[in-house]
Amino acid sequence: MSLNVKCLKQLNNKVIKLLKHIQFVRPVLVSSGLLFFYTALKAQTAYDSLKIKVPKHFFQTAILLDAYSKPKQTIKETDPTSKRLKDYAVKQYNLSFYTPIATINNYSHDSTINDNTHYLLTGNFMLLQPQFGGLQQHLLTKMGLGFRLIHNTGKKGLFFAEFSPFVTSDNTLKGANYWRMASTILYSHLFNDRFNLRIGITKSFLWGNRHYLPFFGVRIGKLDGVNLSFQFPRNINLQVPLSQSVRLNAYVKPQGGMFLFSNVDTLYFKNTDRKFHFTRYEVLAGLRLDVTATEHFAFYVAGGISGRNNITLYSEQANTKYKRLPLRKTFYELNTAPTGFINLGCVIRFGKRKSIGKNTNLYEAIDLNNSIDPGDNGLIIPNSEIRKANTERSNLKLKDVQDLIDYNDY
Amino acid sequence: MPSLAQNPKVEALKVEFISQKLNLTDAESKSFWPVYNECADKQKAIRKNYRQTMNHLPQELTDEKAKEVVNLEVQTRQAELELEKTYNDKLKAIIGVKKLAKLKQAEFEFKRKVLETVKQQSD
Repeated sequence: MSLNVKCLKQLNNKVIKLLKHIQFVRPVLVSSGLLFFYTALKAQTAYDSLKIKVPKHFFQTAILLDAYSKPKQTIKETDPTSKRLKDYAVKQYNLSFYTPIATINNYSHDSTINDNTHYLLTGNFMLLQPQFGGLQQHLLTKMGLGFRLIHNTGKKGLFFAEFSPFVTSDNTLKGANYWRMASTILYSHLFNDRFNLRIGITKSFLWGNRHYLPFFGVRIGKLDGVNLSFQFPRNINLQVPLSQSVRLNAYVKPQGGMFLFSNVDTLYFKNTDRKFHFTRYEVLAGLRLDVTATEHFAFYVAGGISGRNNITLYSEQANTKYKRLPLRKTFYELNTAPTGFINLGCVIRFGKRKSIGKNTNLYEAIDLNNSIDPGDNGLIIPNSEIRKANTERSNLKLKDVQDLIDYNDY
Repeated sequence: MPSLAQNPKVEALKVEFISQKLNLTDAESKSFWPVYNECADKQKAIRKNYRQTMNHLPQELTDEKAKEVVNLEVQTRQAELELEKTYNDKLKAIIGVKKLAKLKQAEFEFKRKVLETVKQQSD
C-alpha cells in the first residue's frame, strides 16, 4: 500500500515537473516563434534596407475639368411663367477630383491571390447657368465631398461604393442651401477581359437623388480595344480606338440634376416661398474624341444632339404641406425641341502609381473609378491610364529604358 | 496593354514581350502579374535611387561621401539580390520553376533587344 502511495507521489512529482517544464517551454516556443517571424519579416524586407520609396497606390490623383453648352431656344408663350422665362439656354462647368488616401494590398500565403482595397476621397463642384431671357442670371452651384471604396477580391469580383453628400445653392439667395446625398453601391463581375457585368443600386444626382435606381451594366470587348458598354442608368458607349492615344466614342447618356433656385424674380406665384427647385434633364447622343496626350494629361471633345429636354420648377415646401399631392407636383414644366450641344474637358493626373501591367482586375477597378465620376454628375472620365501597347520599338533613348536595365549594363 | 511606368511605352512593350514568351494560362496570369508588377516597381525604385545618387555626385568627394557611395553600390547590389530571391520564390510558387527560367530568359532577351535598338538609334 505504502509502495503504491510512494509510486503515486513520484508520478505526481514527475507530472508537476513536466507541467513546470511545459510552462517554461511555452514562453520559449512563443518567443522563438516571434523571433522566427521577426527574422522572416526582416528577410522579406531586407531589400528595403535602402529605405526605397515605391508608389503607394494604384490610382493617381486626378482633376477633371468639364464644360458643356447648348444654345438658346425660344420658349412658346403658353402661360404666364413661359412669358416670364422667354428663352432658355444652358452652360455648365464642372471641376471634380479624386485622390487615393489608402491602399491595402494583400496576397494569399502562396501569393496566388492578390486582393486590394482602395480608399479614395472625391470632390466635385458644378456651376450651372440656366439662361432665361426674362430672368436675372442665376448661378446654381452644387458642391460635394465624398468617400469612395473599391475592393478587388483578386478573383473575379470587385465591389464599389461611393457616398457623396453635397449641397446645392443659388447665388441670388445667400445662405440658402439644400443638402442631399449621392451614393452608388456596385458589384462588378469580370467573366474575362472581354466580358463584364455590373449590378447594384444608385441614388444619382442626375435624377435628382429622389430614389434608389437599380444599376445594371454590361461591357463586351476589351477595355483597351473596341468595346460596347451599356451602363443603366448612366450611359451606352461604343469605344473605337483610332490609335494608341486617340479613341472615338459614340454615346448616349442622360444629363441633368436638381438645383436650388431662388424666387428672387417672383417666378413662383407664392411670394412667401424664397426658394424652389429647378430640375433639368436631357438625353445626349453624340460623338466624343478622347486624346491621351501624356501620362498626366488627357482631353476630350464631344458634340451631338441633346434631346428629350425637360425642365421643371416646383416648391418642396408646397408639396410637403399638401401631402396628398405627389412629391414632385410642379408649378411649371417645359419640354423643348432637340438642339445641338458641345462638351469639352480635360483630365490632369498627378504623381506616380504602382504598375498594373496585365492585371485585368485592376484595369476593371480603374474603369469603375473613371466611369462613375465624383459626385455622380454623369460625366465620363476618359480611361487614359488604360492604353493599348504600341508594338513598335521606335525613338528609344537610354533615358526611356534605364529603369529596365541593370546599372552594370550601361 | 496598358502600363504606368516612367516610360509607359517601353514598360508596355516589356509586359507584352514577357506575356508572349511565357504563354501563361488565365489562372497563372491572374496571379503572376500582380506579383511581377510589385517586384518591378521595387526594382525600378532601387535602380532610380542608385542612379540619382551617381548622377548628382560632386566633382570633389569628401571621405564621408566617398564611403557613402561605395556603401550604396554594395547596398544596391544586395538589395537587388534580396529582392530577386524573395520574388523568385513567390513567382516559382505561381508559375513553376520552368516558366520562371523562361521569364529570366525573356527579360534577358528583351533587355538585349532594347539596348540594340538604343544603340542603332544613337549610331
